[in-house]
Amino acid sequence: MDLSSIKDAFDRVAKKQKLSSSKSQEVVDQVGREIEQALATIHSPHDLSSPVDQKSVLTELKFKINAIGPLQQLEGSNKELNASLSKYQKLLEKVLNPDISKAYRNVDFDTRIINQIIANHFYRQGLFDLGDSIVNEAGEPDATALRSQFLEMHQIIGAMRERNLQPALTWVSANREKLLQIGSNLELKIHRLQFVEVLQNGTRADALIYARTYLTPFASVNKDEFPKLMGCLLYAGRLESSPYSELMSPIHWEMTTEELARQFCTLLGQSYENPLSVAVAAGVEGLPTLLKLANVMAAKKQEWLEMKQLPVPVELGKEFQFHSIFVCPVSRDQASEENPPMLLPCLHVLCKQSIMKLSKNSTRTFKCPYCPAEATVSHCRQLHF
Amino acid sequence: MEMDSLPNGNHATGTPITATANPAPPPPSNLPQLTDSLKLEHQFLRVPFEHYKKTLRANHRAVEKEMSAVISGVNEAADLSPDDAVNHLNSLVSRLQGLKRKLEEGSRVEHLQAHKCRVRLDHLESADAENMSEWSNTRLKRILVDYMLRMSYYDTAVKLAESSNLQDLVDIDVFQEAKKVIDALQNQDVAPALAWCADNKSRLKKSKSKLEFQLRLQEFIELVRADNNLRAITYARKYLAPWATTHMKELQRVTATLAFKKDTECATYKVLFEAKQWDFLVDQFKQEFCKLYGMTLEPLLNIYLQAGLSALKTPYCYEDDCTKEDPLSQEAFRTLALPLPYSKQHHSKLVCYITKELMDTENPPQVLPNGYVYSTKALEEMAKKNNGRIICPRTGLVYNDTELVKAYIS
Ligand SMILES: [Zn+2]
Ligand SMILES: [Zn+2]
Repeated sequence: MDLSSIKDAFDRVAKKQKLSSSKSQEVVDQVGREIEQALATIHSPHDLSSPVDQKSVLTELKFKINAIGPLQQLEGSNKELNASLSKYQKLLEKVLNPDISKAYRNVDFDTRIINQIIANHFYRQGLFDLGDSIVNEAGEPDATALRSQFLEMHQIIGAMRERNLQPALTWVSANREKLLQIGSNLELKIHRLQFVEVLQNGTRADALIYARTYLTPFASVNKDEFPKLMGCLLYAGRLESSPYSELMSPIHWEMTTEELARQFCTLLGQSYENPLSVAVAAGVEGLPTLLKLANVMAAKKQEWLEMKQLPVPVELGKEFQFHSIFVCPVSRDQASEENPPMLLPCLHVLCKQSIMKLSKNSTRTFKCPYCPAEATVSHCRQLHF
Repeated sequence: MEMDSLPNGNHATGTPITATANPAPPPPSNLPQLTDSLKLEHQFLRVPFEHYKKTLRANHRAVEKEMSAVISGVNEAADLSPDDAVNHLNSLVSRLQGLKRKLEEGSRVEHLQAHKCRVRLDHLESADAENMSEWSNTRLKRILVDYMLRMSYYDTAVKLAESSNLQDLVDIDVFQEAKKVIDALQNQDVAPALAWCADNKSRLKKSKSKLEFQLRLQEFIELVRADNNLRAITYARKYLAPWATTHMKELQRVTATLAFKKDTECATYKVLFEAKQWDFLVDQFKQEFCKLYGMTLEPLLNIYLQAGLSALKTPYCYEDDCTKEDPLSQEAFRTLALPLPYSKQHHSKLVCYITKELMDTENPPQVLPNGYVYSTKALEEMAKKNNGRIICPRTGLVYNDTELVKAYIS
């Protein structure tokens, strides 16, 4: 995008503004000087025999000011300024999209839901002040449903940043069952962080006690990790010059903290990524396509408002790909429960309706459209993505 | 930890992250896409520009007015007595001095506003692939402040802008002007709104705005409500009659209230006395205000959310097993997306049930004998852990890794 041309155009605006502004100053000064001069002439010492003709001084002043043409001068510089202003505005409209609401559907977009989403957006980031503020201003006391949970999460994370694992350990042991169900080994990881701290700062005896108390329960499940940690015991106090020095890297703290946040969100039934950020980022990517579409469809406004599916694909980055969508390469239809994807014996995949068509309703063998292989419907298998 | 960065990677929520997982890579972003997204920023550049223009116009008008006054003052001086004339000229000199000070103050404000325009241009220019995640975060904050200002959540808007140092990137100053008018309308006072209309008379006329007419109608209704009929009629002659040629129907309807009074049961006229007419005026004002400053009529947040939800919406989103990372797995987003169309795909996009990663030629889909499909990566890892055994996570069936076949998706 041509930002530099916009910048140049703005520089021209600023230049004209400066000119116009100094012009105004100048005109005011000029007029002021003339009036002051007239006053000076009136007040000038003169002998009484030839009194100053005040009337003629005033007439002359009138004449001089008229000659300056202050209003015309002001108008002139202002005109130039206005020309550059409207040029700049036109350029903005040309280079940028002047109305991004063209693809907007005027549907009931519930403000209360949006406010609730925003409040949670702040809470999940630990911005409790902002969350509370919008809850108050919008008068949405119900929007605080997740506040206490996110507060707990941020307290745990905050403590971890200060190398205090106690709140984290309390939380994992309170949620041990649920964490096991999702295949988490967070508890071991947190104990490992603590164990490494003890190895560095405590005695070998302390470390041994810690290992016996907290690490041995994991011995049978984590067959690789446990012996490695026990190996560390040999290097208590000088872990940095041991084969295990990598364990001291602060990256373990960062990663374990992130993992805790992820699993905390999972147990809450929430996503780890901020859903509002995801939705808006998808909007930024998708909107240009939608605007093009809206332009094309401008004449058919009603159709645009009523359609159940967008007529064209809106390509989003793979970070926005949450579902498997199978599009039949023959019919271009999206697979569905009634029309599922089927695997042909040649390992090509078509959707059921296409196979039915090719086989004339399973009455005959058919040739795969993608290779020379022949197939019958009974040899095709339904796939589940 | 970045809670509000762009989504990146496709980490499964339930999958433990192994120690090999690096911190999330920067989101993929390519230049044409960046350019396209910058083109959406018209309002971002336009609003401070309109503000700047407004100041320029006001300053110019002030100089012009003062200067005309001084010129006619000089002309008048000739007709005064000598002493009066001298006094008069002296007063003109101090008037010009005052004007000079005003000019200086005026150009100081102009400079500040020009600076804001430049800061925004620079901000757009600063967006590149390296800082995209931070830049997008700022964009979301800008979008949120825009929403809050339009909704009159001023305190939160100011707090968010200040805590992130965004003051030059958001339009709090512009909305201060709106706030005065809106607050007054909410207290059933039209004066500031009328003053605003007078300030922007020529532009409102150009856009055929009838805000002033609507405000006048409301004032008239208030007079009728107060049983102040004579004043109501005088008012109508003075302020409503000029609109007769363009808005006859509405004018007649409102003046007919004189016959009905405030407790009328006649539906056509009853609504005119309802308190929600004032909310309607607030909405009307907001619309005109946004139009004048070159803003979209809808909050940016709503526009982006609609586009995003539409692009994300699939029939699978409303099923129980929609992944939590999908905003549409949440009730709030599902409700918002209800009236929106589904997205469309021209090509298959397959996401591995286990890793949530895209299955493509690098990580092709493999079919178990039961027809369930998973990514090569996921199945290889599972086989490695279980001595070659594959357990289908959705059916519990156990297979050998030799039973897998690769499917060809075109
Ligand atoms: Zn084939
Ligand atoms: Zn979904």
